[in-house]
Amino acid sequence: MASAFASALRREARFLATHFWDLALVTWVPLALMALVAVQLSAGVMRELPIVVVDHDGTAISRELTRRLDAAPGVSVVARPGEMGAAERLVRSGKAYAVVLIPVDTERAVLRGTTASITTFYNASYSTPAGAALREVGNVVQGYAAALAPTQTAAVAGPGKVRRPPIAAQSAVLFNPQGSYELQLVALIHPALLHLIFMVAAASALGRELRDGTIGAWIGDEPPARAAAAVAGKLALYLAIFTGWGLLAIGYVAGLRGWPVAGSVAMLIAGYAAMYLAYIGVTLLVVGLTLTMGKALSVAGLYAGASFAFAGAIFPIESASAFARLWSALLPYSAFAKLLAEQWIMAAPVTQSARQLLAMLAFLLVGGAIGLPRYLSAAQRPETWGRR
Amino acid sequence: MIGRAFLATFRAILSDSSAMMLLIGSCILYAFFYPSAYSGEVAERMPVAVVDMDHSGTSRALEIRLRAVQQAEVTARPPSPAAALRLLKARQVGAIVVIPEGFERRILSGGQGVVALYGNGAYLLRTSTALAGVGAALGAVGREAAVDQAMAQGAPAPPALAMIQRPLFNTREGYGATIFPGVAFLIIQQTLLMGLALLAATMREQQGALSFAPRTLLGIALAFFVIGCANVAWFTGFVFWFQDYPRAQADPVALLASAALFVAATVAGALALGSFFRTRERPIQLWIVTSVPIFFLSGLSWPKEATPHWLTLAAKLLPTTPGIRLMVGVNQMGASLSEQRGELINLAALILLYGAIALWRYRPRTA
Repeated sequence: MASAFASALRREARFLATHFWDLALVTWVPLALMALVAVQLSAGVMRELPIVVVDHDGTAISRELTRRLDAAPGVSVVARPGEMGAAERLVRSGKAYAVVLIPVDTERAVLRGTTASITTFYNASYSTPAGAALREVGNVVQGYAAALAPTQTAAVAGPGKVRRPPIAAQSAVLFNPQGSYELQLVALIHPALLHLIFMVAAASALGRELRDGTIGAWIGDEPPARAAAAVAGKLALYLAIFTGWGLLAIGYVAGLRGWPVAGSVAMLIAGYAAMYLAYIGVTLLVVGLTLTMGKALSVAGLYAGASFAFAGAIFPIESASAFARLWSALLPYSAFAKLLAEQWIMAAPVTQSARQLLAMLAFLLVGGAIGLPRYLSAAQRPETWGRR
Repeated sequence: MIGRAFLATFRAILSDSSAMMLLIGSCILYAFFYPSAYSGEVAERMPVAVVDMDHSGTSRALEIRLRAVQQAEVTARPPSPAAALRLLKARQVGAIVVIPEGFERRILSGGQGVVALYGNGAYLLRTSTALAGVGAALGAVGREAAVDQAMAQGAPAPPALAMIQRPLFNTREGYGATIFPGVAFLIIQQTLLMGLALLAATMREQQGALSFAPRTLLGIALAFFVIGCANVAWFTGFVFWFQDYPRAQADPVALLASAALFVAATVAGALALGSFFRTRERPIQLWIVTSVPIFFLSGLSWPKEATPHWLTLAAKLLPTTPGIRLMVGVNQMGASLSEQRGELINLAALILLYGAIALWRYRPRTA
């Protein structure tokens, strides 16, 4: 048993060592893709987003508002076109995310002691940056209104009238006070990439033996227990490599970028291992049912490629259709994303995340129970080999 | 010669079920599969825990008014902030509202009662939407509460400035309508790349290094161009309509020219890339894992302004980077060709670059 496991592991390592692109898929390809995402999102928060101001008022107050907008860290006033048409053209050509319209009589309204309305048009087709720009403009407008209150308003309405509104809300984001998307996105995208590459690599490793007809010589004459141990040994190599990538992903965001794991690091690592084991289960199922490398790869892409959208980690899945919620529940990555939020960010009790571990291990049991016997029996049926 | 190569390419596709699945089947499948993740569209009512530490008439009134807020639903009333935090960590609530002790006393004495709102940083996007909604609602509640205060103190002055917000273009603002109209073109690019490369690699396994006369290559390219255009028509004509996403805002000439340039750049890129594969399964194996980073590089979800400059330049080598911006521009924003000039030039340059690489890679070899 142990010898079958170890010799299969060595055999797979020898194969990788001599096949450039198969080795690439588990070495520099994951590294390059993870680095790409890490570099792109390293800013974390969006600053100096381009906006334009249409100033129809042309007064001291409108000019001061424009100046305050430009000075705000989140946005940058890149143009001051005279009319809305020109401003919208700038938005349509991707040069600005929002238009701040200061209407005629803004200053008069302020000096009269009434409220002047500033309208912000934002490009909802680019909702993330436009939303960030919108919030920043809102903060600037609110801040300027507060600054105007004692001077402008008090002069008109009398000092007794200047009072802050009786109820105010103070918002805070727990666990991620800076509201950085780096922690949120990079921590989630790395495992999303890793589980997809892992499943593609595992499906290739199993499917290749069928395609090349080498499965017979490899495990065709072995008793079932030894054959199963050999399959485990083959996949253990990938499990070890990708657990290493998981450690690097945690180390990068937690160590290098300064987003420490708030909960249990051990639990997070266990989560990575359980996630890979779960995708081993699914891979065994898919390869066992298709017995064709190409088809297994296509299914792997479809199944593991869209996990990020269905996991409910960024977009709420609870309000989606019954199909989407079912599909989400059938993805081990969904359970991993929950575990990641619990252990990395929220420091939830370990017992709470143990549930996610069990959910992921269930995929290994079910997938393995169906797929492995079919795969092992294909080793004795040469007619199933060589399918493309 | 062009016509013969064109027809031969279609025959090759039709006789290979994996290529058929990639080039045509997956676009049909993804059209229904992917948008279902966003079928909730606008964020649901977020479950909120209210911790009332004031136990006054005003705090109870505030809590009752919170129940009517559209963005949130009061699902729990834990006795302490610590208990509320446990609910948040267990994902039973998405946000916490804490009404502090002395809240009523401060309002009645002419001061300001500050309600604390806590969102869950593990779910940033949802949290910021919900916090903004609840915060705005609290402001409205506050104005009503002002009446009580005014009896003793006189009405407060209105703020000098207020902001009104108006969405442009994508006025429904659902998650799906923001993401999928970009993802659709990623799907078109990836399936075309993998489908074409799979066929090229299969041929290469059988016949060795491929070489085509330029006119034959043009015929092959035209066949994939027709498939790519059919996929664009399928998504922009049917799927966006079926899912009720913003669509076809620009004039027909702009729509057709944009689609043609995007598909042509994708086909040229696929021909160039496909020339490097020697094994049938290899393109799927190596390329299917690139989709998520490629989508982020398009700048639809993460702005190019917050991306390192050199990376935004390198990203222009992918047809989807200008392609997604262009197609969202003409389909949602009603942009004209001159407004999308930069993307059009980018795509034209890619056609020349990848076209030249393809011509050179498949050049007829004299024996």
